[in-house]
Amino acid sequence: MTHLLETKGLEIRFGGVVAADNITLQIDAGKNLAIIGPNGAGKTTFLNICTGWLKPASGKVYFEGRDVTPLSPRAITRLGVARAFQIPQLFTEHTALENLLIATAARDRLRNPIRALKDTRQRAEMMHLLDMINCTDAAHQQVDELSEGQRKLIDIAVALALRPKLLLMDEPTSGVASSEKFDVMEILVKALAEAEVTAVFVEHDMGIVERYADEVAVWNMGKIELRGTPQEVLEHPDVIRDVIGEVA
Amino acid sequence: MNLTLFLLALFDGIAYAALVFIVAVGLTLIFGVMRILNVAHGSLYAMGAYLTASLTTFIVAAGLPPIFAFPCMLVSAVLIGAVIGGPLEWLLLRRIYHKPEVLQLLVTFAIFMILEDVQRLVWGTQPIFQSAALQLLGNVRVFSVNYTVYQLILLPMVAVALLLGLRFFLRRTVAGKLIVATTEDREAAQAIGIDADKVFLLTFIVGAGLAGLGGALASPTTSILPGIGADMIVLSFAVVATAGLGQIEGAALTALLIGLGRSFAVYVWPETQVLVPYLIMVAVLLVRPEGLFGSPAARKI
Repeated sequence: MTHLLETKGLEIRFGGVVAADNITLQIDAGKNLAIIGPNGAGKTTFLNICTGWLKPASGKVYFEGRDVTPLSPRAITRLGVARAFQIPQLFTEHTALENLLIATAARDRLRNPIRALKDTRQRAEMMHLLDMINCTDAAHQQVDELSEGQRKLIDIAVALALRPKLLLMDEPTSGVASSEKFDVMEILVKALAEAEVTAVFVEHDMGIVERYADEVAVWNMGKIELRGTPQEVLEHPDVIRDVIGEVA
Repeated sequence: MNLTLFLLALFDGIAYAALVFIVAVGLTLIFGVMRILNVAHGSLYAMGAYLTASLTTFIVAAGLPPIFAFPCMLVSAVLIGAVIGGPLEWLLLRRIYHKPEVLQLLVTFAIFMILEDVQRLVWGTQPIFQSAALQLLGNVRVFSVNYTVYQLILLPMVAVALLLGLRFFLRRTVAGKLIVATTEDREAAQAIGIDADKVFLLTFIVGAGLAGLGGALASPTTSILPGIGADMIVLSFAVVATAGLGQIEGAALTALLIGLGRSFAVYVWPETQVLVPYLIMVAVLLVRPEGLFGSPAARKI
């Protein structure tokens, strides 16, 4: 069977730092994968390679069985791989709804470039998306007036507006107040399930990993050190020593 | 100053402002989207004027009615935008977006110098005059003043239509929103699948086409000779800087301010004609360095 995303032998180094050392990994549809590991282990590098922003020195990335390694980020996005950033990258002078409509406009290409942005059909679709992430109230607010938690959710909604099959998220809860974290994840995981999107997320909060990941991969020095269910991984003595010990 | 002189100065100023705005808005659009100050914009203006004059002379010589001078202007503007602007962005400017401003200025200045020589090679150094379009529309009498319909009515109409059209395009249409989005955050725009390279290319073609259109529209009103490109880039830069870089509506008002300032200077104190636009610019920038309508870190188009 073809995996949703598969990487084979990814290698990349920056100067003397090995950021990816023979990264071979399969991700299957419907199984949300958490990536954990110390800072500098190559987690974000992995996301950047999968989305085409970085080209590996060697190795391949397959999406639904197709070799996407040489493709541009845009082409990979069009195939169904979206990403959300560690720091939300939104168009700050627009409202939340406008941000989403801009994404749908980019998704649908410009069949009629002169039409109004506020097309009713897309508007209804995006209001539904805002409803899924409990941000209906924020629709008409400028995004720089929203809370960090809401901005994170809008950023992810922008990615979901592209109707991806796979969503790569770099620390979806970083910068979110700890009181808000579980609420944000709760909303997020529900929205992902409803949209039938598989998520890969880098995360430092082991509480979040334990509760929301189906599988966990541990990165260390550019390698995958361990992979398994959250229980298996989080109880592993190496992980407790190298990862949890460091960040807890 | 009597009424006749006042009206003449006023009409001169309006006609001139309309032309300067059409050129300056192209410059400010390019700056707003790509953050590049294109000195070669002046050459594109001059080449638009030369090309229109040549095409018009050709069709008049071929015995076609002079009304065809107007399509010639549009054709020239499109050719300047697509045939010169397109390859410029694609081959040269694309490589310098992330370079220091000094280098960007040097590169676009070099393009300007090269294109100035290209004009001399193609059109020579003798002034060219082709006013078929101006004569075709005739004159209009306002109180005691006779003025050409072309300059008093057509040019301002084109300028206003352009201003309203650009505003509508950037604020209300999908393509405009995608351009604004790319301007705000290029990386985020690419992450949602916007082809930022294409946005830049199309914006530059449109901006270069506007320089060509300005030249095309100016051609029947003036002798076309080497150096008009340099005059125009300096003046439209004054307009753009006074308004605030990237400000489209601001450029319209500033063009009017500088156009009127210049034409009244001609009638009141002719020695200062060349100086007045820059005096206005300096006065504004001393008080508001970000320009009349610019805000230090806000949106640029």
